[in-house]
Amino acid sequence: MAAEKEIPSGASSATASHRPVHSDTAAKWFLMSSVVYFFVVGVIALIIAAKFVWPELLGTIPMFSYGRLRPLHVNGMLFGWLLAADMGLVFYFVPRLCGVKLYSEKLGVATAVLWNAIVLGAVVSLLMGWNQGFEYAELPLVLDVAVVVAWILFGVNVFGTVFTRRYPQMYVSLWYTMGCILWTAFVYLTGNFATLFTTGVNQANLNWMYVHNAVGLIFTPVGLALAYYFIPKAGNIPLYSHKLSMIGFWSLAFFYVWTGAHHMIHGPISQWLQTISIAFSLMLLLPVWTVVYNFFATMKGHWPLTRDNVPLKFLMSGVVFYLLTCFQGPMHSLRSVNAIVSKTDWIPGHAHMAVLGAFSFFAIAGVYYSIPRIFHTKLYSDALANWSYWLAMIGGIGFFVTLWLGGFWQGWQWNNPAIPFIDTVVALKPIWAVRFFSGVLIFGGIATFLYNILATVIHAGPRPQEAVHA
Amino acid sequence: MLNKADSNAVWFIVLALVFFAIGGLLTTVAPPLIDKSWAAPFSNSDPSKGLTGQLRPLTELEQRGRAIYVREGCWYCHTQQTRTLLADTKRSGWRGVDSPVSTPDEFVYDSPHLFGTKRTGPDLSRVGGKYDTQWHRTHFRNPRDLVPGSIMPPYPWIANNESEFQAIVAYLQTLGRAKNWRPENDYEK
Amino acid sequence: MADYTYPSIYFAYFLFFLFLAGALYFFLRSFRDGYWGATSEDVKYQMLKDEEAEGHGS
Repeated sequence: MAAEKEIPSGASSATASHRPVHSDTAAKWFLMSSVVYFFVVGVIALIIAAKFVWPELLGTIPMFSYGRLRPLHVNGMLFGWLLAADMGLVFYFVPRLCGVKLYSEKLGVATAVLWNAIVLGAVVSLLMGWNQGFEYAELPLVLDVAVVVAWILFGVNVFGTVFTRRYPQMYVSLWYTMGCILWTAFVYLTGNFATLFTTGVNQANLNWMYVHNAVGLIFTPVGLALAYYFIPKAGNIPLYSHKLSMIGFWSLAFFYVWTGAHHMIHGPISQWLQTISIAFSLMLLLPVWTVVYNFFATMKGHWPLTRDNVPLKFLMSGVVFYLLTCFQGPMHSLRSVNAIVSKTDWIPGHAHMAVLGAFSFFAIAGVYYSIPRIFHTKLYSDALANWSYWLAMIGGIGFFVTLWLGGFWQGWQWNNPAIPFIDTVVALKPIWAVRFFSGVLIFGGIATFLYNILATVIHAGPRPQEAVHA
Repeated sequence: MLNKADSNAVWFIVLALVFFAIGGLLTTVAPPLIDKSWAAPFSNSDPSKGLTGQLRPLTELEQRGRAIYVREGCWYCHTQQTRTLLADTKRSGWRGVDSPVSTPDEFVYDSPHLFGTKRTGPDLSRVGGKYDTQWHRTHFRNPRDLVPGSIMPPYPWIANNESEFQAIVAYLQTLGRAKNWRPENDYEK
Repeated sequence: MADYTYPSIYFAYFLFFLFLAGALYFFLRSFRDGYWGATSEDVKYQMLKDEEAEGHGS
């Protein structure tokens, strides 16, 4: 990364005739808005973590009650920050991997505008309590339709770029990106529209197929696409094996969708369906371990690079978190383990490690790597970037580890019916306090990340007004 | 076959969708066709006693209460499933009587389903009839007045709004009542 | 033990072995199709080049 040479502003020097000049307008829109949402929704995250410690906090204002802020936190982080950042980074690397310009920058900007309208609509509707009552699919129907439209626009742009590519063989990041777009379309329709025509357990089954695959077939493939692109790029090391990455891809395509019912183990749903979901949950180790082995083998002999290279630091920590979270998942689906940890605070620990520890770390690394290149400048401060890493890392570990331990402890207490339920709540209070303070550290990481990116863009010079449109 | 997908985007799209569709169809479309209990409302009768429990659709008042339960996100912290775990049947039980486990036929009319994934507060699948209206009013105003150490937020805007309060209590009292599992005359009115 | 002898459990085993057989079949076939050829790893070097190399793509 340090060796990256200054490239003069693209518009003035069309050096090589068939080397495309990437204007990256659509990527800028997505990335700049997403980092701002990361910060804003981070504030909400802190409030709801504080509510576990001080339950009366903002307690008499309906809009700021826990039940309305929690969906805002989840939807804001998933769709306002992470998916938007992922889409921006896809707009960055897909044209580069294809060796052509993005199919349409205008279409990309239109998608970004629509996406921001959806996020703002989501903020209003969730605070007002217009909640459909489905996890991850809380948004009202109008916004669901808008998401589908935005996703189609995004898909047209990516596939349009891929179909006009100059290099015939597609790099694995393109595979994951395209897979993500295709699968998300079906998963999203199932979770937001098919559920409306069903009731009871049938509906729950569809809902959890969506919830599970929102992570497994939206954030996992696009997150891995980022990791497969930015790890080799940030370290300037070729990937260990492209073929191995194919195995990971096809096994992910096949195994992931089966596991939705593992959200209802021991619950009121057919036992055989639970068993199928458990079997496939265990098979998820295959795509995960091939991917993680590939990254570790890529880094072999190059680990010292992570010392000075902040994107690589985030990326490889994300890989470790990905390995851990995807070991937890299959183990959690085993009936004996599930009887202890299911429905406890272990769950948010696990979910945060996937979405924050793995996929947000990948996206942060991608933003740190791509923003200086998009704006033809250098990162504002490497020291500050290191701070954002260590704050997010220490806060993250504090968060994850206390919640796993607390969750196991809580689960064991629940399984002893002699302990009144309220005692198991009181016992968790120290855990929730540590969670809140870890959250403060993570938020510090987010704040320094935002400041660093904004400062980079503002100091970039020629077109500063584009920086703050979000 | 697979190598075609390496450099042919159309082949790639077809294969990716086929791989996905096998599991997608078998785990979403097939199960309700195979397991009919998902769609048949619970009903049980005893030759000597007649009907001993039946699932009925919610009244209009109870449905309004359910909408409030959804609006306030109660389901983020309260599950509605007595799982096939001994401890769950004890915790959902009442005065020494273990509760039956939840079965799909008890939720046939539920939309949105409210099974929940996180149990910050106690499970509510069998809460119907356990606490009376006055208890709920005090509890919604400030949960800590009745349960010291609770971290449930106060809901004054429900407790002080008579029509909303009546609706949500009416809904809560229906939970888990289809299976008439408790001793005679044990339910609070 | 009765828990493990339901027809549906046998069905799950059956599915598992069916998929395992399918996976092995396509894996073996991929050798015949030349999936593991000498040029199959080119793309990972090319992806590193596209920004630095002025002009000439792979």
